[in-house]
Amino acid sequence: MKTTKLKQLLIATVTGAQVALPAFAADGAATGTNGTAVVESSAASTDGGNSSESAEIKTLKEQVDALVQKVNALEQQPAQPAPDEPTVNLQNLDQQVRILERQREIDRDAAVAKAATTPKITLGANGFSASSADTNFVFSLHGLIQTDSRTFFHADGGTLGKNTFLLRRARPIFTGTVFHDFDFNFTPDFGGSAVQIFDAYLNYRFSPEWQLEAGKFKSPVGLEALQADTWTSFNERSIASDLVPNRDIGLELHGDLFGGIASYAAGVFNGASDYNGTTTTQDVDNSKAFAGRVFFQPWKISDVNFLQGLGFGVAGSYEDDQSSAANLTPGYKTDGQQTLFSYAGNVVANGKHWRISPQGYYYYGPLSLLGEYTISDQQVSRSSGTPASADLQNTAWEISAGWVLTGESASYNGLTPQHSFNPTLGQWGAWQIVARYANLDLDNAAFKGPTTFAAAGSASAAQAWSIGLNWYLNRDVRLNTSYSRTTFNRGGTATPTAATAQPENVLFTRIQLAF
Amino acid sequence: MKKYLILILTLLAAAANAAEVKLLNVSYDPTRELYVDYNAAFAKYWKAKTGDDVNVSQSHGGSGKQAQSVINGLEADVVTLALAYDIDAISTQARLLPADWQKRLPNDSTPYTSTIVFLVRKGNPKGIKDWDDVVKKGVSVVVANPKTSGGARWAYLAAYAYALEKNQHDDAAARNFITKLYKNVPVLDSGARGSTVTFAQRGIGDVLLAWENEAHLALQEFGADKFEIVTPSLSILAEPPVSVVDKNAKRHHTTAVAKAYLEYLYSDVGQEIAAKNFYRPRNATIAEKYAANFSQVKLVTIDQEFGGWTKAQQTHFADGGVFDQIFQPQ
Repeated sequence: MKTTKLKQLLIATVTGAQVALPAFAADGAATGTNGTAVVESSAASTDGGNSSESAEIKTLKEQVDALVQKVNALEQQPAQPAPDEPTVNLQNLDQQVRILERQREIDRDAAVAKAATTPKITLGANGFSASSADTNFVFSLHGLIQTDSRTFFHADGGTLGKNTFLLRRARPIFTGTVFHDFDFNFTPDFGGSAVQIFDAYLNYRFSPEWQLEAGKFKSPVGLEALQADTWTSFNERSIASDLVPNRDIGLELHGDLFGGIASYAAGVFNGASDYNGTTTTQDVDNSKAFAGRVFFQPWKISDVNFLQGLGFGVAGSYEDDQSSAANLTPGYKTDGQQTLFSYAGNVVANGKHWRISPQGYYYYGPLSLLGEYTISDQQVSRSSGTPASADLQNTAWEISAGWVLTGESASYNGLTPQHSFNPTLGQWGAWQIVARYANLDLDNAAFKGPTTFAAAGSASAAQAWSIGLNWYLNRDVRLNTSYSRTTFNRGGTATPTAATAQPENVLFTRIQLAF
Repeated sequence: MKKYLILILTLLAAAANAAEVKLLNVSYDPTRELYVDYNAAFAKYWKAKTGDDVNVSQSHGGSGKQAQSVINGLEADVVTLALAYDIDAISTQARLLPADWQKRLPNDSTPYTSTIVFLVRKGNPKGIKDWDDVVKKGVSVVVANPKTSGGARWAYLAAYAYALEKNQHDDAAARNFITKLYKNVPVLDSGARGSTVTFAQRGIGDVLLAWENEAHLALQEFGADKFEIVTPSLSILAEPPVSVVDKNAKRHHTTAVAKAYLEYLYSDVGQEIAAKNFYRPRNATIAEKYAANFSQVKLVTIDQEFGGWTKAQQTHFADGGVFDQIFQPQ
């Protein structure tokens, strides 16, 4: 290796010397050290053409012959060792080359070592993320902003709904990981009249199968309720979600089994009432709620494509409520977020409250289907009036469907347009049409008696259908519009001023940024 | 029949009790070969003593870098580094072991010692015999970066100590001497093994300032016809220390085996293995047995010449210290 390099250097040096030699030889010709230069000089002189020049040429030829003989004689002599100085220079050059090569090696190793410990920062469609090189520590910033409008129509003789623009959700979402196995999420919401903490939890991942989550997060019951706010088909969840809890504070064991074919969640919580849109941060009694869910996607990792997106399961909860009005729903809401049912002022939750919710979805290519059925059985009592207590069983169900007109695959976790919106390139994002029908049936017992458990103006049932068009400009920006009509069955005494006195017709729009 | 049953049950119980224990030894660059030999011996010893299999993983690199890795979370059960300052750093910065860790084992937790010698090319073409020859103009010196390599710090201090001794402890003269030396260094590796590669495999330089064991290893590896060892008139007593990393070992439930692992270094077997790998054993009998492996050289200590590692580190190797002042990358 070393010898080869030295030879290369020698060749380079000798080549350089040969290139330089002709210039240097102009002087050397006089001393006869370079035959070629001498010959060229004589040729130039021949161009003159006289006899004295011929003699001169003859003399020069003799000199050339003499020089040739000398050169030949020199060539016959054994090769002389190169002088010391050039050897030293070559050795120095060789060392310099080796040092440069080694330095490059060291720099490369250092760069690799540095890359292995340099934190990574990414900024893209999924927000901002910084992580340690070993990914044991990750911090991500996401955001969700939804600017809605609701326009109520008076087709059936009047409504109490307010036509409005509203900031439905405005949430910075801080997520991350510490020490590899501990994930966190902190999500405040600035969209309502007061700032609220929606999610604040720590999740320990022992393995995909065994994870323990503590803090405030969604109670594992309703299928549509568990879907991310970013990816629900309509601006508002259906009236079927009125019967399931929203976020709650507690401790939950959960995990995915067999590569995600089955998943489970089981937790103990403070206990949230049906549809607690504002979510609570304080417990109202000493009793605790138990909530759990199992969900199966049998073909999730199979080769049967058309069944990969099929999922079904059942969820439920149980709590023995102590006497407290705060354990009751603040009111079941229509799609337009008007109250369709609430309890009378002196009614409290008192006794068992259980829910059960079979549920399922199916996604295949652009098609999406989602359905769930929920029973919420609540024991209530009141301080005065007859009857003094009741066991009210309310039921609700919904089915929704969607079709992505531009062909992208839909999923429970949203969809990504094949081509982001870019009119100059003729790209228009993804378009999806959606439809939904939902039914909510309140227990008739709530409306019986001299004094009813239901507040005046409450509906005993509601049916809502909706259609909508969703435009996904890109992964982060989405525009929605939908129309929803809800009809009501009158419960107790007619209340002409109640929202339930006439069907609700409402047009929604939404501009959403989610990253 | 009953006897067979008892025998089977006994064997089953023994099998159930046997366990595989895993240890991570985070060490410095040139100890690879030493701990390959030692780990095998210890595993045999531990198996005989407890019935457990022990599997020791090794991690090697510049001593300073290795210490930083442990501070940053490398889960070492034991550290066997080039110098005490690096283990002190693990104690003070990460609090993974107590500040008095060095008192827990004999000889200040240094089961073997070494020193710095010169490795030169066969025939010693530059006639390098002592430190004065190393600083001569035109001599190319290979040594690692003392900011990351423990061996390089020992080499730096050996040269500095020589200059102090020669110049009646005139620090300015010593600084001038060390400046000249590092002017002759064309490339700095991050660890001692890297500088051996630079010198022996890449053919760079006239002299390698090497751990004594590393120099002997180079002779074995590349052949005595290519290199020779030159022992200077004065060098430094390098004392590579060892310690259990208490909090890691406790978390891994390996405290007992980690302690035994280091204690066994002081056993006759451990000392023999150290000597065979050209580390100077603490055991006088074994040191005498292998005396031929080690040249006689006047050795100064870090404490007597530099006031201990903390002071030496602050003065010479901390950011802005003497080394930063005198070394200009070429």
